[in-house]
Formats: sequence, C-alpha cells, structure tokens
Amino acid sequence: MENTKDMPEAISSHKKTVAVIMMGGPTKGTRFRPLSFNLAKPLFPLAGQPMVHHPILACKKIPDLAQVYLIGFYEEKDFSLYISALSNELKVPVRYLREDKPHGSAGGLYNFQDLLMEDDPTDIIVLNCDVCCSFPLTDMLAAHRKHEGIGTLLVKKVSKEIASEFGELVADPKTGELLHYAEKPETFVSDFINCGVYIFTPEIFTAIKAVTYTKHETSSLRRMSSFEALHTATNSRAMQADFVRLDQDILTPLAGKKKLYTFETNDFWEQIKTPGMSLRCSSLYLAQYRLTMPELLATGDGKRSPTIIGDVFIHRSAKVHPTAKLGPNVSISANARIGPGARLIGCIILDDVEIKENAVVMHSIVGWKSSLGRWARVQGGGDYNAKLGITILGEDVAVEDEVVVVNCIVLPHKTLNISVQDEIIL
Amino acid sequence: MKALILVGGFGTRLRPLTLSVPKPLVDFANKPMILHQIEALKAVGVDEVVLAINYQPEVMMNFLRDFEKSLGIKITCSQETEPMGTAGPLALAREKLDDGSGESFFVLNSDVISEYPLRQMIDFHKKHGGEATIMVTKVDEPSKYGVVVMDESNGCVQRFVEKPQQFVGNKINAGIYLLSPRTLDRIELRPTSIEKEVFPKIAAEKSLFAMVLPGFWMDIGQPRDYNTGLRLYLDSLRKKSPEKLAAGHTFLGNVIVDETAKIGDGCLIGPDVSIGQGCVIEAGVRLSRCTIMRGVRVKKHACITGSIIGWHCTIGQWARIENMTVLGEDVRVSDEIFSNGGVVLPHKEIKTSILKPEIVM
Repeated sequence: MENTKDMPEAISSHKKTVAVIMMGGPTKGTRFRPLSFNLAKPLFPLAGQPMVHHPILACKKIPDLAQVYLIGFYEEKDFSLYISALSNELKVPVRYLREDKPHGSAGGLYNFQDLLMEDDPTDIIVLNCDVCCSFPLTDMLAAHRKHEGIGTLLVKKVSKEIASEFGELVADPKTGELLHYAEKPETFVSDFINCGVYIFTPEIFTAIKAVTYTKHETSSLRRMSSFEALHTATNSRAMQADFVRLDQDILTPLAGKKKLYTFETNDFWEQIKTPGMSLRCSSLYLAQYRLTMPELLATGDGKRSPTIIGDVFIHRSAKVHPTAKLGPNVSISANARIGPGARLIGCIILDDVEIKENAVVMHSIVGWKSSLGRWARVQGGGDYNAKLGITILGEDVAVEDEVVVVNCIVLPHKTLNISVQDEIIL
Repeated sequence: MKALILVGGFGTRLRPLTLSVPKPLVDFANKPMILHQIEALKAVGVDEVVLAINYQPEVMMNFLRDFEKSLGIKITCSQETEPMGTAGPLALAREKLDDGSGESFFVLNSDVISEYPLRQMIDFHKKHGGEATIMVTKVDEPSKYGVVVMDESNGCVQRFVEKPQQFVGNKINAGIYLLSPRTLDRIELRPTSIEKEVFPKIAAEKSLFAMVLPGFWMDIGQPRDYNTGLRLYLDSLRKKSPEKLAAGHTFLGNVIVDETAKIGDGCLIGPDVSIGQGCVIEAGVRLSRCTIMRGVRVKKHACITGSIIGWHCTIGQWARIENMTVLGEDVRVSDEIFSNGGVVLPHKEIKTSILKPEIVM
C-alpha cells in the first residue's frame, strides 16, 4: 500500500538531492539490436521522448534537486547534444560521467563518489535507465527520510513467474525493512521484486568501499575450488576487484541489518531490455501522459486532422494525412510523413519515415528514414517478449508497394521487394 | 593510367562482417579485398585509382592513406549521394578518369576476385582498337547471370542476354572493363546501368570486344562464394607463387598463414585455409576450408570447417564450428560449443550450442 497518508516532509534548507541514472554502454545490451546500431539505447524514444528523459523528468519533481548525473560507458559525443538541450530546458545541471570500463552498478557510483558528493547531498537517487515506471520519487524520498537506514528500494509485488527474472526480496510488513534479497533465484523466494530505483544516503559509499576492499583481499589470497572456478567461468568479470554490483554485492549482504528499507509501488513497472519491450513501454508512458500531461497527446476526428483512437503522440514536425487513422498506442517522431488512408496501430514510427497511401503498420517499430510503399503491410504478432514477436525495421529500410512483412527483424539499408515472415534479414 | 573501382553501398550480403568495416576492407586471403585489385592495377602502371563509394568514405580513406604511401599510387574517393548504378559513377568521376591524354581507363567491380590479367587485357584492347573491352568468364550455369554473346573468332560482342531461358552462350560479364574516354560521352549523370544502357550501344557499333578471362573468377559478395573464392585463389597461388603457401607436415593442401601468426603442436591445417595477422592457433586444432581473420585465438582441440571467423574472435576449447558459420568481430565462443551454421553478430558471447543454422543478434 502506498503511504499516501503521509505528506511529503517540509523541505528544510539543509536537504539536498542528487540523481544518478545508470546508463550502461555499447558492448552490453546487444539485445537492443538492430535499433542500437545507430543510437545509444538510452536515447531511443518512448512516447516521443528519449528513454532516459522519463526518469530525468521524474527527478525534476524533487524540489531540492541539485544535479542530475548520467553514468555510463558510451562515448560522450553520443549524448552531448541531448544533454546541452536538456540542461537548458530543465534548468537543472545534467552531466554525463563516462566510465573508462564497466564497474558494475555500484562500482560506477563509487568511481565517481567525489563528483557525486560535490554538492554535499543528503540523499542520492539512483535509477536504472532501462526501467519504465511512474517513478514515485517524492513519496519515496519522504519515506526514506523517515527511517535511519542508508537506503530505500522501490519494490513491487508481481506474479511468481515474473518474479524469478528479477531480484526477489522479503520485507518486514510493519517497518518496511529489507530482510532478505536474492538476485534471480532459481527457487521461489518472494513475489516482491526490486524495481531498480533506489534512494541512498552518502553512507552507501562506505558500504561499497568495504565490499571493494574485501574483493581485493580475497582475489589475491584465495585459491578457487574447482567448483567455484566452473561457476564463475562465465562470470569472470564479477571476480574482478573493482566490479561491484549493487544487487548481489551490496543489497544481499546488507539485508536484515536495519540498513535498507523498502517502498512499495502498485503502479506499472517494466524493464526495457529489448525492442519489443520498448514498444510496450512506449504505450505505458503514453497512457501516463493521458493522466499527467494530456496536452501532449494528439486529437483528431478525420476531418482536418487524422482520426485518433486511444493514446497517440505525433511530433509537431510530422505530417499526417487527414484520411489516415492512428492508434491506439502510436508514437510518431520528427519529420515523419504518413500518407492518405494509412492505418497505424501499436507502433513507433521513427524520424524521417515515409509511409505511403493505404499502408498498414501494426505492432512494429519502423526505423529512421525507412519507407513503406503503397498498400505495404508491416506487422508483428504483438508478443513483446518473443524473439520475433514484433516487426522491427532498422534504419533506411525500404518496403516496396504491396509487400507484407510479418514478425521479422530487418537490419539497416535493406530493400524488401517480396513478402517475408518470421525471419531475421541481415 | 587511371582506374575506377565500383565499391557501391552497404555490403549487406556480407553481414555480419560488414557491420564492422565497409565491404572493400573485409580481408580476403589475409589482405583487404580492395587491396588485391589496387595492387593488380599498380602492377600495370595505373597511377590513380578512384573509388566510387556511397557509404562510409571516411573509414575507407583513413585506411587507404597508409596504402597510398606504401604502394606509391594515388587513391581518391568519388562519393555518390544517391546510388548511381553501374555506369553513373563513371560520369561522376569523369574529370579524374579523362585526363585529356586519350588513354583508356580500367573499371573494376570491387566484389570480384580473379587473377587480374590486366597486361593481357591492355594488349588485346590495343590490338582490336575498338572503344571498349570487357572481360568475360565461362560459367557452368549461365542462365543465372547476364550472358555475353560474341563472335568467337575475334571477340566482337554481338549482344547481351539477361538470364537466358535457352542456351545462347556460356560467357558472362566478369566485371572488369577497359574503356576509352569517349565512352564517358555516352553516360549521363544519373543512375545508369552499364550492361543495360551503355554496352549495348557500343556493341551495336561493333566497337565492344570481349576477352575470355584466363584463370579463376569469383564474385565474393556473399559468405558461401567467399569461401569458394579462397579455394580458387589459393589454387592459383600454388601455381604462380607456391612459396607464399605454408609448408610442413602441419599443413594439408593450400594454406596461407601470416608470418605473425602462431600455430601450436599437433594441429592439422588445410586444405583451403587462410590465417591472418596475430592469430594464435593453440595445440591440437583442426582447421579446414575456413578463413581465420586477424587477431583470432583458437583454443586447444577445437575444430573449424567451412566457416568464416571474424576479427578478434575467441574460439573455446573443443569447440566445433562448421557448415558456413560466420562469426562477426569479437565473438567469443565458449568451450565445447557446437555451431552448425550460426551467423553471429559482433560482440556476442556464444554459451550454448547452435544446432541448426540461425542468426544470433
């Protein structure tokens, strides 16, 4: 149950918050191909805004927010344009801190400790960029400031099947204290999962330091038993002393020691690991706009503007013919052109796409600069988790007139002149 | 003398290799594909090569700058802003190809591998005195291609027949041309096909002659043909410069090994294998009919056949890789894994076997 009866604490002048968004980097997340060939995953648009924009907007609601840090190991130039535009628009400093190599989620924080502590914050919000949720940070921060631990985790109750894919945890129902934590357990631990949204006090750095120190010690002193060697063979990176993961290395040992607490949400929550999930999450954010910023959504009745069903986002520079019918759950990016009689359902249309007359797009992502000919049909089955569950067209893919593409992934710069189903096209 | 190499576009048929470098820079027999052609051109006195490109010219130029110096030949790019077909790029590069001296220039298709008998081609061209010479090659299944019908006595081309239903001849266009500058007058600056629009006009004037390519020919634009091409190339090397092939009881048939590569004990390598710069082949490895690109490590007891292993991959102990497996750059295959025709994109880790041909993204 959310703590709605507790009002946010009156903001005292000595409270300051910084937000840190963990972004990852290019060699991880090959699951986001082919969309990640051209664009760092955090910049992929969901409901018309880059993925990372949604958590940043949520952080902006915190009144004493001093800075937003983005930590990752992408190249700086991938984000420089986005960040300068963002700092201006939000009037809060946003900085990208580049890791020289992956340090794990906690290692990354520790690596930049001095910078993160620059403004002397009392609270540090840590978010994973690929989490899609309502980010109830104001209420979570209030709850965090009430207890005396070093951290608060956002948690949610889910079905047993889903729970096993994430970190499962057990919390004290009265105090909310984190009693037990297990990352992706094979047997059932709990149906509460870790949402990847945290608020810490600066003591978290001490905790990470202690773990790093232990790892250094053990890595030099210990001989691995052959079982351990087998078990960690594919996890060799985790054995490195300066690779510290928040979940396994910090949360698990600190559980049950009155240091970590939980804050429950019942709102939507998903992790955006694949293009299929990004389509689903785009729909979730569109539904959220309906509640929080309905002016962002398109309206139309087929007379001067296209017929709109459900939640639809159309970038102001896109051109859509009035005889087209869009929605539900459609997002159209900059400079796209949607021709007469087109029908779009459950899809993301990226920049500069041209869709000609009477074409149909369902449950698909159409990549930048792609084009669909007249009466072309690009369709996915709608199973966001299946390998070929939606159709994804990479950059500059041309689908010729009357061609049907079903459940395919098409890599950039291809031309499809015959119909095709259930294939990856290199 | 000048030359134009038609490089074209994205090389999607050679993915996943072309996800890491543009197609002309994909290594073939331990050398970037385009270098085979540039060296052949340099050997007959070409002093400037123009590359007709429409994708990633900066990557190409950075790479070629080094070779400009070491080869002593000028290399420039002519960038197409839209695909110009097979003749359009000539019009685009006109100023570079026609230097006013009236000398003919070469046009090569970058996907083609052959012995490049360019000296003989120049002699044949001068002898017939016509406007253009094209190389043709004999194939078993001509109806898959465009057939060139010619007078067998002097090579004068009569007509082109695209994918003929009945047998009209068994010689197809090999993608190597020697053209006199007046051909440039026939080509407009728009997407144009040289086979469909330009050559038929020259043939009608009885000024187009075909020379049958001696030696091997292969279009290596896709992985399967790439491997066949390697076999033909190494075969030809055995005849011309056998000292370049590896010798010793470790090797079977034709094998080429870069001098910086290390090969362990108890290996059996060949036939038809190329091993690139800096590779480490550990003990007890069997390699046959495969390409091992630069920087690859093949661990002990592994067996690779009929496949292409991209740059900097690691192949685990006892791994078995076969049936046209193509590994992109920096793929790590765990120990004991079996890959039957896996096509793996760059930077992946393969921890479970691929039992039937599939693409791993």
